[in-house]
Amino acid sequence: MSQKKEINRREFIRKMGLAGAGLYLAGCSNQSKEALPTPIANAKTATPAPETPQTGAQDPVENTPTYGDVYLSVVRGEDPRAMAMRAIAAIGGIEQFVKNGADVIVKPNICTDYYPYEYGATTNPQVVAAIVQLCLGAGAKRVRVMDNPFGGTALSAYKRSGIEDAVIAVGGEMEVMNNNKFRKNTIPDGVDIQEWIFYQDILNADTVINIPIAKQHGTTRLTLGCKNLMGTILNRGQIHANIYQRIADLTSRVRPALTVVDGVRTLMRGGPTGGNLDDVKMSNTIIASADVVAADSQAATLFDLIAEDIGYIPAAAAMGLGTMDLTSVKVEEFSV
Amino acid sequence: MNAKVVRKARQISQFAFFALFMYLFVQAVYLGASPLESDLFYRLDPLIAATAMLAGRTIIAGLLYALINIAAALIFGRVWCGWVCPMGSILDWLSPQKSRHGKQVPDRWRTVKYLILTVLIIAAVLGNQTAVIADPISILTRTMTTAIWPALRKMVFGVEGFLYQFDFLWPALDVIHANVLLPLFQGIESVFIAGIPIFLLFGAIVGLNWIAERFWCRYLCPLGGMLGLFSRGAILRREVSEACTDCGLCARECPTGTIDKSKDYASDPAECIYCYDCAADCPVSAISFPAHLPTKWAEKQPYDPARRDVMVTAAGAAAGVSLLGVETITRREPERMIRPPGATLTDFTTLCMRCGECVRVCPTQGLQPSLLEGGLQNLFTPRLVPRLGQCSFTCSACIEVCPTGAIPPITIEEKQATPIGLASIDQDRCLAWGYDTICSVCEEICPLAEKAIRQEEREVTDLNGNTFTIKLPYVLRELCIGCGACEYHCPAGGEAAIQVKTLPSTEAVIRGI
Repeated sequence: MSQKKEINRREFIRKMGLAGAGLYLAGCSNQSKEALPTPIANAKTATPAPETPQTGAQDPVENTPTYGDVYLSVVRGEDPRAMAMRAIAAIGGIEQFVKNGADVIVKPNICTDYYPYEYGATTNPQVVAAIVQLCLGAGAKRVRVMDNPFGGTALSAYKRSGIEDAVIAVGGEMEVMNNNKFRKNTIPDGVDIQEWIFYQDILNADTVINIPIAKQHGTTRLTLGCKNLMGTILNRGQIHANIYQRIADLTSRVRPALTVVDGVRTLMRGGPTGGNLDDVKMSNTIIASADVVAADSQAATLFDLIAEDIGYIPAAAAMGLGTMDLTSVKVEEFSV
Repeated sequence: MNAKVVRKARQISQFAFFALFMYLFVQAVYLGASPLESDLFYRLDPLIAATAMLAGRTIIAGLLYALINIAAALIFGRVWCGWVCPMGSILDWLSPQKSRHGKQVPDRWRTVKYLILTVLIIAAVLGNQTAVIADPISILTRTMTTAIWPALRKMVFGVEGFLYQFDFLWPALDVIHANVLLPLFQGIESVFIAGIPIFLLFGAIVGLNWIAERFWCRYLCPLGGMLGLFSRGAILRREVSEACTDCGLCARECPTGTIDKSKDYASDPAECIYCYDCAADCPVSAISFPAHLPTKWAEKQPYDPARRDVMVTAAGAAAGVSLLGVETITRREPERMIRPPGATLTDFTTLCMRCGECVRVCPTQGLQPSLLEGGLQNLFTPRLVPRLGQCSFTCSACIEVCPTGAIPPITIEEKQATPIGLASIDQDRCLAWGYDTICSVCEEICPLAEKAIRQEEREVTDLNGNTFTIKLPYVLRELCIGCGACEYHCPAGGEAAIQVKTLPSTEAVIRGI
């Protein structure tokens, strides 16, 4: 038989007070407020950088001269990892983008858990891993890889894409995007939208590296670098109200330091989700540039399209976010 | 053995089994990650086993574990109720401070649980499992899934969200979020159409404790009634020795109120739950539970159901099943009664025992317990509400977890080729069709390799006289599997402009297999 003692008034009030305080705290949580500038951990407090991975003579980084003045590199070959490393070396090396002790966020395209990467709907895991490895080699304090899949859960999509295993193998982290870290932010240069809800860590990061996969897409014809940034926000559906300009507006806020377009397996139709290997073309190309507009313009040519065909590219160019005139900049092509 | 030690053991056992229930509940969403089946408590439940097999007219091997429970009842009586049942434990813990002995409740009411049991069995024989929602394990699973756990999640995430306002806490909070909260509560907001009604039913059962302790177990629980029937032949039975001083303590303390002062403190083995409270508290240690061999059938009680009561109830149950036949669903499927994947291939409503495991494991929480959408006869059966969550293309969690095969054991490839409904577009509300707005979300989201949603182009002119081309989506009936990804993601406000509706009956097949 229970022998619980009677609760007295004082204790009752105390407990109700605690419960009330808990409810009050819970009630406070929904207020979204303007983001305040967040102090970013500086290099002094950062942990020592891990050593550059030494993978021996076959590592292309070791033997590749850098081409610091190349604006955009196009690398063709069979080995996605080597191609990614060469593409970045060509535009001046990862050190141009990642400082010692930096907090780096890598944004691949992990749209769904429907199909593995061979189907060309999610970024090639070897490309992602190569870039994570380069960042850590350059002394990045922390390299997080994340996306906000619309099919399946983040965990299942990370796994299915092969990106989780590849990233963890080279020492990077996968982060499941956390609703608490989405905040309303202003878009000072926005043409159509002046504020949106962004993943705050992505805006706070020292370096954001954008690694889209180039693929066909119903609304915008192609998913490329600018479009890939839709994974950094909430309320994606509302972007569709004026999708080209709004993607450009988002790009103006995120401003990735580096865009690497995975054009190894390009999904020519049935995108953005894929599912049919017959729709996948081995284009075996990787494009890198600090200029997302230029990278997207170059990537459009993989589909026999030009930049003007992809609504958000001219919109972004018009905002001064980059150039779509590839004859005006130094583009170099390589094979590995 | 010292009765106080036994009572302590019983209290530990109740806690341990409740902890096991919660562990299984949490890990159910990680299919195959635990060596224990997440439906372990159902497998031990002979009531579920009986109704599922009777209604399905088949032997379900996984449910034969319930024989262990029956064997236990034949030795220890209703030890399940006192030592194991997580619902019983909750009722023990959520008792009023001053216990009520239910003296104002006539003993005749104890008959009710046998009559409810009769209804369940007769209805099952007639192929209906509607009343199985009264099984205590299913009540607890359902309430935990749709109300208690989501409410706890809201509370925890509310506090977390408050703390996330302070940026300097983020590193610490991120660690807790990723390693504790996300594994426990998953990444999606839990919303359930039936959550509040289900909670109120549970609350009512707890509330009855204020009329009589373990009111549910004494008077209503059909599983308790079933185990009570077997417990009448239990080997170990409560006995009061000559040492009894007639102090009456045991009669006052008994949580099921079965100790009768007027009969020398004798008790009914069909009501005793072997909690050992009486034996532990007896000042003269006059109470023991010795073996009675050869075992004799327990003495008949005035509240034992008379043959006439059983016959009348059985007839009533049959009439009730017939009455359910007047519900409209027996002629027309409601257009929004989308069942879990593969359910079109089985006699779903007959096999489904409303256990709620599929609802629990659905990673999008698109599977919801029905209220009256499918009539009273389908109360708490699962249906997909795509606007709340799509049937995830690569997921087969509900298929793997269904204990009765109501959701049949098809492969993931078969599931991806088995239509569960058919999408249709409301052209007046579609952004593209109705408002000349560029939108291809449904086409983009469609998980099928060949895209069951295609687009046709049309020239339109806007207010300023500018002409441009928009793409208008349409559904290919031959390809659509009704997963509802399009409906879930449709950017139209409120109800989606593309909705999955009940499949034309000719489509209930696995395509190409």
